[in-house]
Amino acid sequence: MLKEFVSELNNKIPNSKAEYIPMQEAGDDSILVQAVVISEVLGFFKNHPKFPFKVLQVISGVDYNEYFEICYMIATFDLHASHELIIKTRLTDRNEPTLNSVVDIYKSAEWQERECFDMLGIKFSNHPDLRRILCPDDWEGFPLRQDYMAAKFYNGMEINPDAKMNLEDREYIIKAVENKDELIKKALAKGL
Amino acid sequence: MQIWDDKKYLIEKTSDENENPSLKSELLTVNMGPQHPATHGVLRIEIKTDSEIVAKAIPHIGYLHRCMEKHSEKIDYRGVTPFVDRLDYLGAMNMELGYILTVEKMLGTEVPRRAQYIRVLVCELQRIASHLVAFGTYVLDLGAFTPFLYAFEEREKILKFFEEISGARLLYNYIWVGGVWNDITDEQCDFLRNFCEEFEKQLEMYNELVTGNKIFFERTAHVGVFSLQDCFDFGATGPVLRGSGYKWDLRKIHPYCIYNELEFDVPVGTGDHGSTIGDCYNRYQVRMKEMVESLKMVKQILQKLPVGPFMGKAPKVIKLPKGEIFLRTEASRGEIGFHLVSKGDKTPYRLKVKSPCFTHVSMLPHVAPGQMISDFIATVGSIDIVLGEVDR
Repeated sequence: MLKEFVSELNNKIPNSKAEYIPMQEAGDDSILVQAVVISEVLGFFKNHPKFPFKVLQVISGVDYNEYFEICYMIATFDLHASHELIIKTRLTDRNEPTLNSVVDIYKSAEWQERECFDMLGIKFSNHPDLRRILCPDDWEGFPLRQDYMAAKFYNGMEINPDAKMNLEDREYIIKAVENKDELIKKALAKGL
Repeated sequence: MQIWDDKKYLIEKTSDENENPSLKSELLTVNMGPQHPATHGVLRIEIKTDSEIVAKAIPHIGYLHRCMEKHSEKIDYRGVTPFVDRLDYLGAMNMELGYILTVEKMLGTEVPRRAQYIRVLVCELQRIASHLVAFGTYVLDLGAFTPFLYAFEEREKILKFFEEISGARLLYNYIWVGGVWNDITDEQCDFLRNFCEEFEKQLEMYNELVTGNKIFFERTAHVGVFSLQDCFDFGATGPVLRGSGYKWDLRKIHPYCIYNELEFDVPVGTGDHGSTIGDCYNRYQVRMKEMVESLKMVKQILQKLPVGPFMGKAPKVIKLPKGEIFLRTEASRGEIGFHLVSKGDKTPYRLKVKSPCFTHVSMLPHVAPGQMISDFIATVGSIDIVLGEVDR
């Protein structure tokens, strides 16, 4: 059924260059479209004559190191023909990734896109209220990126200062893990 | 002067400004702040009020954000289960089942029959316990104290059973890949049978005390109406969607575990006693009736519980094959979904949690304008949020 959707998409919205992505070794298959036409693609699915995908459940962003991949999970929520789809786009610009917001198509996208912005830094244009939702408003950095390093200071307070961390315990544990085999041999020799 | 209609929404307001031009009125911003007995956790709602009427409600979340999605990228698959427990801490077994089913679907493990029956038994008991909390705290928000104590007394019996099988009252780490961690004995089954008989009588008492109460009906009928189109637009699931009249339950439509072998009904909001379908009263009714259905399922499971191993074969070190999966299961507050991306390592590459309460809280600004503040509190209580799920 996904392949029929892909051919329909390529007929109606040729700019989408829709591709069918089969499952790799296990899991789900999905549809990959170009980022520029994402609103038209989702509008097409919402108003599909045969299977209207009424509900956008979640927008999940994944950071593969060369590109961001944003997955939209849509579902028909029909009692007799219940189908689910994953539609993906890829963004390659790591400094200023932008995407069109789909709030005018699915209202649930409002908070989901805010979370995507908060965690990954993806800007959604035409979003009514794009600001951080889970992290504090003045947080720096985007936590779920692969290259995220927590800042040293937050509002003038030092995060995890060495003076307050239990460094002796930490060193002991690291050494114990490195010398794990010796410690186990000693314990077995003692008959424990 | 304000003109109201039967359904409690403000239709027309003729301001005093026209009559006396020197008077000026402004909206007053009030924080239904992070510490509040009725917000079920640390939720801050900024309410702009016009005398007693809410003009705008802006929820602010993130006070309980623990970033479990980032933590789970460094922890192996079995170690993520305690993180998943702490999402909806009042319904932890349902969360665990959702996560473990996702991992098992990618792995392709087979779970023995007895383990599947025990899993469903434990999940349905957890659903009863969670709905008891929802019932007790909802009525407490509206001002009644007694049903809260009655509900928590019954819940104690369920938690005692959970403590005996898993060692913890609230955060269990009981459902493991391949089965469950511990078996249940015949004495515990007898205890549960007694509990089922007593609980039926208690449910009748709750209905006499609360459901048939005129004051409760006046406070909750026609209040906070979510129309069916709203529910689809925002993605509501669970008792919120069923309270709006749509018979959608994942346990019937895409059955998982052994739900297709059990007989149960799916209660829907029907507008009893003249209430609007989709209001707080109907959502409350759906939860009460769901408790009856869950009890039916518990009794059937106790009759049919097969003999056998409670844990199947699972690899010592779990390495999922490459790929991604999105799986939803029916938890007590809606549909919990896990989007799991794996690159063949021992840890997930990305675990995204689709939380039902997150979408339900986002519906509040849509419904709030025009309500009185006490009606707004009734609405917030009826959608039954747990902040651990909203913030993760």
